Amino acid sequence: MVTYVIRRVIQAIPILIGIAIISFLIVHLAPGSPIDKFRTPRVSTEQLNNLIRMYGLDKSIPEQFLSWISSFFQVWKTDNQGHFIAWGFSFTDGRPILEKVVERIPATMLLMGTALATTVVIAIPVGVLAAVKQYSIADKVITVLATVGYALPSYWLGIMLLYIFAIDLNLFPLYGMHTLGGSDDLPDLAWHMVLPVASLTIQSVAGWSRYMRASMLEVMRQDYIRTARAKGLPPSRVITKHALRNALIPIVTLLGLTIPTLLSGAVITEAIFGWPGLGNMGYQAVIDRDYPLVLAFVMIGGAMVILGNLIADILYAVVDPRIKY
Amino acid sequence: MSGHVRVKDLRAGALKEGANLLSVQDLRTYFPTQDGVVKAVDGVSFEIEAGRTLGIVGESGCGKSITALSIMRLLEKPGRIVAGSISLDGFDLVKAEESEMRQIRGNDISMIFQEPMTSLNPVYTCGDQIAEAVSLHEGKGHRSAWEHAVKMLHDVGIPDPARRATQYPHELSGGMRQRVMIAMALSTDPALLIADEPTTALDVTIQAQILELMKGLREQNKMAIMLITHDLGVIAEMAHEVVVMYAGKVVERSDVNTIFDHPHHPYTRGLLSSIPRLGEKRKRLEVIKGVVPNPLNLPKGCLFQRRCPYAMPICSTPPPFQEVAPGQVSLCWLTPDFKPPAVGADAPAQIAEEAAAALSVAK
Amino acid sequence: MDSTVNPTLAHRDDAEIDEVDLTPVRTYWQMVRRRFLQNRLAVVAFILLAVMIALAIIVPTVTGDAYQKTSLLNPNGSPTTTAPLGYDDIGENTFLRLMKALQTSLFIGFAAVSIIFVVGVSIGSIAGYFGGWIDNVLMRLVDVVLSLPSLFLIIMLVAFFGTGNAWVIIFAIGLTSWTTAARLVRAAFLSLREADFVQAARALGAGRFRIITRHMLPSALAPILVACTLGVADSVVTEAALSFLGFGISPPEASLGNMMTNAINFMVRQPMLIIYPGVTLILIVLAASFLGDGLRDALDPRQRVEG
Repeated sequence: MVTYVIRRVIQAIPILIGIAIISFLIVHLAPGSPIDKFRTPRVSTEQLNNLIRMYGLDKSIPEQFLSWISSFFQVWKTDNQGHFIAWGFSFTDGRPILEKVVERIPATMLLMGTALATTVVIAIPVGVLAAVKQYSIADKVITVLATVGYALPSYWLGIMLLYIFAIDLNLFPLYGMHTLGGSDDLPDLAWHMVLPVASLTIQSVAGWSRYMRASMLEVMRQDYIRTARAKGLPPSRVITKHALRNALIPIVTLLGLTIPTLLSGAVITEAIFGWPGLGNMGYQAVIDRDYPLVLAFVMIGGAMVILGNLIADILYAVVDPRIKY
Repeated sequence: MSGHVRVKDLRAGALKEGANLLSVQDLRTYFPTQDGVVKAVDGVSFEIEAGRTLGIVGESGCGKSITALSIMRLLEKPGRIVAGSISLDGFDLVKAEESEMRQIRGNDISMIFQEPMTSLNPVYTCGDQIAEAVSLHEGKGHRSAWEHAVKMLHDVGIPDPARRATQYPHELSGGMRQRVMIAMALSTDPALLIADEPTTALDVTIQAQILELMKGLREQNKMAIMLITHDLGVIAEMAHEVVVMYAGKVVERSDVNTIFDHPHHPYTRGLLSSIPRLGEKRKRLEVIKGVVPNPLNLPKGCLFQRRCPYAMPICSTPPPFQEVAPGQVSLCWLTPDFKPPAVGADAPAQIAEEAAAALSVAK
Repeated sequence: MDSTVNPTLAHRDDAEIDEVDLTPVRTYWQMVRRRFLQNRLAVVAFILLAVMIALAIIVPTVTGDAYQKTSLLNPNGSPTTTAPLGYDDIGENTFLRLMKALQTSLFIGFAAVSIIFVVGVSIGSIAGYFGGWIDNVLMRLVDVVLSLPSLFLIIMLVAFFGTGNAWVIIFAIGLTSWTTAARLVRAAFLSLREADFVQAARALGAGRFRIITRHMLPSALAPILVACTLGVADSVVTEAALSFLGFGISPPEASLGNMMTNAINFMVRQPMLIIYPGVTLILIVLAASFLGDGLRDALDPRQRVEG
C-alpha cells in the first residue's frame, strides 16, 4: 500500500505540471498584458517598468514559467521578514499569496465540512430507506424530491433561500460570517452558517441519496443476500450487516472524491452569501485580473482533485477486502 | 434466538430413516406478470423421507428451483404460493409465520445454491459467515461459533481450515467456495439439505469431488437431501428417488433404478436417450425436437404433446397420473406397455375426461 | 427412440413435431424504441423538451428583435394577450425575452455538447482502439484536464478571452467537459476490441476505420447519448451560473442566466421575474435527466436498477 501511495504521488507531479502549463498559457495568451490594470494615468512609466521587472514579465514566457513553477513548489521559501513568498504576491494588495490563501482556508473548510457531514448523516439513511421499501410511497416521495432537488441550480436555490428566509422572514442574516461589529462567538457564527449550509446540503443530499439508493438496490439483488436470507437471518440483520456494508463501498469513494470541494469551496455559494472563503477569493481574483492569485488558485484546485482521487482509492482499498494494491 | 419457542428442531437423524420428513402436496406457485400469469409450479407433489435423497431433474425453466424456493418461502415478488401444502414433519410451511420460517431456514432445512462464486458475501471472512449461522440458531458465543466453523471447514475437506476461515471468499477457488457453502449449510446439522444445482458451475473434476463429499456427509449425518439438477449423471450418482419435472408439473416419479432402466414418460425417455453413450456407434445425436412451451401460451391438455413422438388426439385432455409399475407414476395417457389407452386414441374429449377421472391415482 | 415402441404409434414425422415458440422476433432498435415508449416519464420529458426547443426556435425567429424593445412607459406592466407574462423593469416583454433566453441558453447547451461529443468521442475511440502508448498519453491528457477545477477554469477563460461572447462560453464549457465522454467511449472500445464480432470483422478483412465506425461505435454510443443528454442540461446551468457571476451573456442579449441575475434586483416588486427563468431552467434539467434515465434504461435494460 505504501508503495502504491508513493507511486501515485510521483504520478501526480506530471499532472500538476500539465495543469500549471495550461493555466499559465491561458493567463498569458489572454488578450492584453497581465499588468494592464495598472496602466492608469496616475502610474508613471517608470513605475510600470519597475512592476514589469519585479514580476519578471520582461523575460520570455518559458523563462517566466520555469521561474514561477520552481518557486511554486518550494512552499517553504520565506523572505527576511518571515513572509512565505513561494507563491508570489497578489496584484490587488501586494501581500504574499500563500498567506492570503492560508487565511481563507478555515472559513471554507468550516462551511464545506459542515455541509458534507450533514449531507452524509441525512442522505445515507434516506437512500437505504428508499431502496429497502422500493416502490412504496416513501420511496416514490424520496425519489421525486431527490430528482427535483438535484435539478435545482445551486445558486437559484441559494437566492431563493436568501430571499425567503433572510429578506422576507428576516430570520437569518444576509451575508458574511459574522455580524459586523457584533460578537465573534459561536452562536453568531452558527446563525450565519445556516443558510449557506442548507443551500449546499439540499443539493448534495439529493444527489447522494439517489446514489445510495442505487447502490443499495444493486447490492440487494446479489446472490449473497439470498444466501443470508436462506440462513434464516432476520431482515434487519440482512440489511444492516450484509447489504449495507457492501452498498457503502461506492459511497466511501464518493466521499473521497468530494474532498477537493472542501478547499476549493463552492464559488457560487460563497459569492451569494458573501462567505469569506477561498472560492470567493478566487472569483474576486479573476474579476480583478489578479493573475498570480488566479494561477495559485488553479494549482490548489488541481492538487485537491488529485489528492481527493488518491484518498478515494485508498479508502476503497480499506473498505473492500477484494482490493489490494 | 435463545429463549424463543422452537418451531421444530429437526436435527439430521432425528426421524427414523424412511419416515416421512417433507411432504409436498399439489403445490402451485404462480407469478402474475404484465403479460399474464406464469404458472411456474403447477400441482407438484412428492415426498422426501428422512435420510434419503430425492433428485429433481428437468430442463431450465421447468420450475424445479421455484419449488425449492417455495419450500423455503424465499420467493421473490411477485411470486406467490397460491395453493397446496408443504409439510415438514407435520408442520405446514405454507401457512407458517415469517418468524417461524426464519427459525427453520438454515436450521432444520438448509439450502445451497448454484453459484458459489457469488453466493458468499465478499466483505466478510468465510469463518465469520459460517459462524453467523451457528450463533444465530444455536445461540453460541463468538469463540465457540468460530471453533465450530473451523471444524465444519475441516469436515468438508478443506485443508488448513484454521487459516482458510480467516480468508475472504475471493481468495478461494470455486470448488472451495462451494465447500464453504456446504459447511455453512451443514453447520446447524439440518434434517434436510436442499441443493440447487450445486455442481453445475464447477469443473467436472471438482464436480466429482463435491458429489463424493456430499455422499460422505449424508452417510455421516443421516440427513435427507433434495438435489435439483438438469444433469442425469448426477442423479444416477446421488439420488434414491427421482422426480422428473416439465413445464411446472411432475411428469414422472420413481426410484432411481426404475427411472434409468424402465422410464415410462416420453419426456424421460427422450432425456435418457439423448445422453450419448461411450462406445455407441451413431451418426447423429438424439434430440427432443421442439422447445419448452412458452409459459404464457401453454397447450391444452398434456404440456408435452407438441414435442411428443407418441402424441394422440386424446392428449389434448389433461392426462392422469398413472401408476405404471409399483412405486412408479407417470403423467401420461400411454399404458404401461406404451399402447394407447383402452378408451381409444381418437375418443372424443368428454369420454376422455371421464376416463381420466377413473384412472387418476391420488398421489 | 426405444425400438420396442409400437411402430404404428411413432408415425409423427419430424416436420409435425416442432413446438413453435410464438414470441415475436424484434430487432434491437425496435426493442429499444418499445422499452423507451413504455417509460411514460421519459416520453413526457422528451415531449417537453421538444416543445421547448420548438418554442425556442419559432418564437424568436418570428418576433425578431421585439424582445429587446424597451418601453419606459410600461415598467413592470401586467400581463396582456401579447405579453402573457407581463413586462419587466425596463418594459421589455417578459415572454418574448424568456423565449429568446431559452433559445440562447439551449443553443449554448447544444453547441457545447457538440464540442464535447466530437472531442470526447475522437479521443476516446482512438485511445480505446489503439491501446498501448497512444492510450497512455491520451489518458494522461484526460487526467490533467480532469484535475483542473472546471468551473473556475471556465470563469477564467470567459473572463480573459471575452465576457459575454457566446462562442467563448461554448468553447470554454466544451473544452473542459469532454473528459467523461472520452472515458466512456474508451471503456466501451477497450471491451469491444476483444469482442467476438469485432474479431470476426477483422478476420473478414475490414479496415480499421471501418471497424471503428461501423462496428464499434454503435455499441459505444449508448452511454454517450445518455451523457450528452445530461450534458446539455449541465451546460445550460453552467451558462446561467456564469451570468450570475457576471461573466455570461450581457443585456440586451437574453439568456436564462442573465434574466435571473437581473431579476434579483427587483425581487421585492416583481418576484415572478425570477421565477419564470428559474422554473424554465429547472424544467430543462428535470426533463433532460428523465430523458437521460429513460434512454439508459431503453438502451441497456440490464443496467437498470429497478427504478
